Amino acid sequence: MATVRINNNEYQADVAADTPLLWVLRDVLGLTGTKFGCGIAECGACTVHVDGQAVRACSLPVGNLGTKSVTTIEGLAGDPLARVVQDAWADIDVVQCGYCQPGQIMSAIALLKTTPHPTDAQIDAAMSGNICRCGTYPRIRQAIRNAAGDIA
Amino acid sequence: MRRSSLIFGIVGLMLTAIPAARAETPGQSDLVARGQYLARLADCEACHTAPGGVPFAGGRAFAVPPMGTIYSSNITPDTKYGIGQWTDAQFARSVRRGISPHWKHLFPAMPYQDYARMSPEDVRAIRAYLATVRPVARKIPANTGIFQFSIVRPGMFGWDLFNGPASSYPDDPKRSAAWNRGRWLVEGPGHCAECHSPRTLTMGVSHRHAYAGAVAAGWLAYNITSDPQAGIGSWTDEALASYLTTGHADGHGTAAGPMAEAVSYSLRFMTKEDTAAMVTYLRTLPAQPAKPPKKASDAFSPAALKHGGALFAGACAGCHLENGAGRQVEAASIAGGHTLRDPDGVNLLQVLIEGSRLTTATGNADMPRFGDGYSDRDLADIAAYTMTTLGGTQPAFNTDAVKAARKTE
Repeated sequence: MATVRINNNEYQADVAADTPLLWVLRDVLGLTGTKFGCGIAECGACTVHVDGQAVRACSLPVGNLGTKSVTTIEGLAGDPLARVVQDAWADIDVVQCGYCQPGQIMSAIALLKTTPHPTDAQIDAAMSGNICRCGTYPRIRQAIRNAAGDIA
Repeated sequence: MRRSSLIFGIVGLMLTAIPAARAETPGQSDLVARGQYLARLADCEACHTAPGGVPFAGGRAFAVPPMGTIYSSNITPDTKYGIGQWTDAQFARSVRRGISPHWKHLFPAMPYQDYARMSPEDVRAIRAYLATVRPVARKIPANTGIFQFSIVRPGMFGWDLFNGPASSYPDDPKRSAAWNRGRWLVEGPGHCAECHSPRTLTMGVSHRHAYAGAVAAGWLAYNITSDPQAGIGSWTDEALASYLTTGHADGHGTAAGPMAEAVSYSLRFMTKEDTAAMVTYLRTLPAQPAKPPKKASDAFSPAALKHGGALFAGACAGCHLENGAGRQVEAASIAGGHTLRDPDGVNLLQVLIEGSRLTTATGNADMPRFGDGYSDRDLADIAAYTMTTLGGTQPAFNTDAVKAARKTE
């Protein structure tokens, strides 16, 4: 039995300690906003925040979380920065098929929380672990630039 | 009906036979368990297993340019291709003296000079363990170059005159039990000097420059003496213990290449006491100073470093993060590593080209190989950027070093 702190709620999940966090999120708790992509931490579709840092939930055993707090894309509903990023994304229609976008947005928000006005190089470095098969990279970068401009 | 009672009868016999067999050989399972631990300390599996092959079935190639290639032997209990027919005495003489049955002398790729420091009883325990692994009827490839000629083998007796084998020496009463145990681990089964000490003219391990570091198979085994700059003198005991048993210590990077193998197959199985003993002994290795600094290479213009930075952002930062702190697995934390501060970039280029796998108690940590998809210029620029920004070191290599490193793969 693992206790996990997700989006400010404590959950008890009857899983082995080496179960990846993504399995707990999607299959046990029904939080399907976080996507499964590659399963080996190479595509970024499953990105969530653990104590604010962007991590890949598919290869993070729940047993390793300890008392750390997890935020999924559902947990950002009331977050002001998330609102700014969401608007920036919608303004220029970043999304094409959309499958990778929860992960893209989680990485973008983690970046903007620590670096409110990133350079293009910082954007590229922070977003490099998130792959988009539709190739929306230029729009993602532009949306992050726009969001940074909108941050007061 | 009759058949089922027959089956029950046989099963019944087996059930009664198993405890009887155990009772006949008291202590056998203890001996096998001890042998397994010793086999791990001696890291037999890493060399006696072909890449992707069955453990202990041999066939791993050891290239010794320009002399030729030696293939490790099959040490499973197979009676034809393995060592199933060897007596314990023959096994002990092979491991401790390098002389296998029919006076066939082994090449010193097998570190029998170090293994001589294990007692005959230790080696017999290893034999007892190896007798329990799955026999594999697989012939290993024939040696090539000079090593294929059996006439060369007696020459090894002459080599032994200069280079060992060392005998098992008595404990030093002036030192602690932990130090003596550590010396036995490092100089004996651990055979650390085989990679970490430079070689003499006769290709033996240099005692004058013991543990000063050396290049083997394209990878640099670092200076592990107590020198604070060149060696491990500035590491804490905890960092050393962590590096040895997990392959990683924060601020010192992650083991790769042959050291990752040593951790994966051998060092991580050490008991806490043995780890502490090894640390105790390593602390006392006489300092060997760093080599004189090399002139910084002029191969990297600001544009080249920018190119390297862009490639780093795309290919490396996803796992290592922009600051090298690593995302979610500690093995990805590369900041502070010796590899980023070696101006020749020996291991940096090697790990970029061929990748590395570290096996830990919680699974594998893989660095993918980037050698195939990137040009020499790309890899040199990535390495230079990483070394400059995360290692604070001016690179002294150029694209020729990448070309050379590709050849050692």
